[in-house]
Amino acid sequence: MNSILKDLLRKALDNGIVSSVMVPSKGPGNSFPWTLVSDVSALQRAEPVPPVMSVQGAKALASFTQSMPEGKLLAVMRPCEARAAVELSKLEQIDLDNIILLTMDCPGAVPLGEYGEDGITEPDINDPATLRPLCRQCTGFTSAGDLCLAMHGGLNAVLPLTASGQELLDSLGFKAEADISGWEEWANAQRGERQVTRVENMENLKEAYSGLQGLIEVFSGCISCRSCRTVCPICYCRLCFIDMKDRRSPASEHLERSRNGGAARLMSNTLLFHIGRMAHMSLSCVSCGMCEDACPSDIPIGRLISMVSADTTAVFNYSAGSNPEDPLPLNTFLPEELHEYED
Amino acid sequence: MPVQGARALSDLTITEPLNRPVAALLRPCEIRAFVENVKQTQGNLENIFIISCTCPGVIPASKLLREDREEILKNHSENIRNSCGACLEFVPGQQADMTVLVASDEPHKGTVIYLHTEKAVEIAEKLDSCTLETGKPPAELTSGILEARKKALKDLMRDIPAPGDGLQSLVSLFSACIGCRGCREACPLCSCILCDYETARTLHSPELVRTEAKRKGSIRVPAGTLQFQLGRLMHISPICTSCGQCSDVCPVDIPVADIFIRAANLVQESLDYAPGRDTDDTPPMATYVEKELPSITD
Ligand code: SF4
Ligand code: SF4
Ligand code: SF4
Ligand code: SF4
Ligand code: SF4
Repeated sequence: MNSILKDLLRKALDNGIVSSVMVPSKGPGNSFPWTLVSDVSALQRAEPVPPVMSVQGAKALASFTQSMPEGKLLAVMRPCEARAAVELSKLEQIDLDNIILLTMDCPGAVPLGEYGEDGITEPDINDPATLRPLCRQCTGFTSAGDLCLAMHGGLNAVLPLTASGQELLDSLGFKAEADISGWEEWANAQRGERQVTRVENMENLKEAYSGLQGLIEVFSGCISCRSCRTVCPICYCRLCFIDMKDRRSPASEHLERSRNGGAARLMSNTLLFHIGRMAHMSLSCVSCGMCEDACPSDIPIGRLISMVSADTTAVFNYSAGSNPEDPLPLNTFLPEELHEYED
Repeated sequence: MPVQGARALSDLTITEPLNRPVAALLRPCEIRAFVENVKQTQGNLENIFIISCTCPGVIPASKLLREDREEILKNHSENIRNSCGACLEFVPGQQADMTVLVASDEPHKGTVIYLHTEKAVEIAEKLDSCTLETGKPPAELTSGILEARKKALKDLMRDIPAPGDGLQSLVSLFSACIGCRGCREACPLCSCILCDYETARTLHSPELVRTEAKRKGSIRVPAGTLQFQLGRLMHISPICTSCGQCSDVCPVDIPVADIFIRAANLVQESLDYAPGRDTDDTPPMATYVEKELPSITD
């Protein structure tokens, strides 16, 4: 583990400044489950930046923080996980009041299916072939949450991003970093490159799968395992709209469709499910890629939702998870808006 | 097997029986699972004409996403799922109307079809390019395959831990689980709209999680990974049809089906229940017998 981070986590827990830390730890085999740690000695197994994303950190965090009455919690997670945590707090699934989010310059994550001794063992930020597709095009790879561990451009330091981050550093006696210009330069250059890849990928996707026919094609291999939904931090409903009884079609309707079209696909809700999920996700998707990583059929589901999300968030001038103060677009009422879509 | 056939047939017939005859091409494990679906009131057999086969097994979906998939398809029998290699019920039971001979010890010429019902005989009259037989396919046609599979099942039962082999072995097996619940969604028998392990009754309360973390020094979150697997084992092992679908979807290659198949074999033997054999067999959990399971109670 990075020595500065180790030092910070230990001190924060030891001095009682936080009462627990949420961080991935090394589990049996090559596994990296999230752990909620309240005893300093358990930090020995901590693996703050594991090679894979096993569970999206915000999902892990939401499992026990709907209300946070007492004691501060320090959660160490990737920037996309911290952004999802911010979205979830707006959706009232996480109470961020007593939570400090610490992120890092994220190296990216190895695809779950390719991780292992005879596959890829470490993500390399400079080698896209070792990264998940959404990591390759990620422009939000640093500076999320309250604090960020900067490890490039000559820095190895924890930088404060908010008042609560600053407060934690102060109480631990960590000094402010005087010159961060090298790191900023690195981040800007990296962001620029990633933006080019992102735009290119979106254009390719749009070209390959446009219109309803394109969607039918891209989801033809979908086996309806719903893993994309279950692992997504933002899909938090306990009972999904698509599983409601009234979404079922009677047998006669299936037969009718089959007669009209010559054949009808069973598991007939596949496309409706994906379109519905896109509609529900698009304003809050943080482009974390968890859905795509879990898909056993290699459907570029994360890239697709992230692409749709780029368009919809632009309409509302919203950026998912960036600023806790920005209200959710769907919760905002303006008497006059979106005239360009009315006529 | 992208989607287990019973799930598709349940999607078709869950709200009402079919009002016109439909032929369904199903593998033996898909038929068995659908018979269980009918008992769960998740489907209806009316007007369904079942065409099945002596099943050669299926290739794991992940192998077909690889670049060398042509090679894999050529060597079918070497590449089938673990669960298929250990499946003893690859010859359809009494629910099928017709069985096409696909897997057999010796290569056979042309299309050989076994007809089990009057409806099948009637339909088959028009199939003049096929060899038609009545009754079940004779056991000796597939006895070699059966022997090989019995051996594979024995190996599987030996190699895979199940509850009883200690909690630690299960903790290790499921340590990489990402909680995607794909195993549950793909399973034809997990048909609850809202899984018991997503309800407020079983989900760990935030307070409990935080208290446990304090007590133990550190705990895994989200909590309940193993609880879900053990719960699903409990609900499904009496009726699991050993289809292998749950392993197939697992994105981190946990041998979920092997674990379920081992548990299912042990549980179904002690309950003397064969899932999918007959719609008239009552599922063990729906049966009350005053004196039973003396081996466990005494
Ligand atoms: S839709 Fe996919 S990429 Fe977007 S937040 Fe959910 S899991 Fe992440
Ligand atoms: S994870 Fe993939 S196969 Fe499963 S429902 Fe989502 S898109 Fe379909
Ligand atoms: S538990 Fe697995 S092997 Fe058993 S019926 Fe369900 S999907 Fe098939
Ligand atoms: S695990 Fe049990 S409760 Fe959950 S879906 Fe399966 S059968 Fe239903
Ligand atoms: S499919 Fe695999 S990773 Fe997903 S819940 Fe089941 S065992 Fe866990």
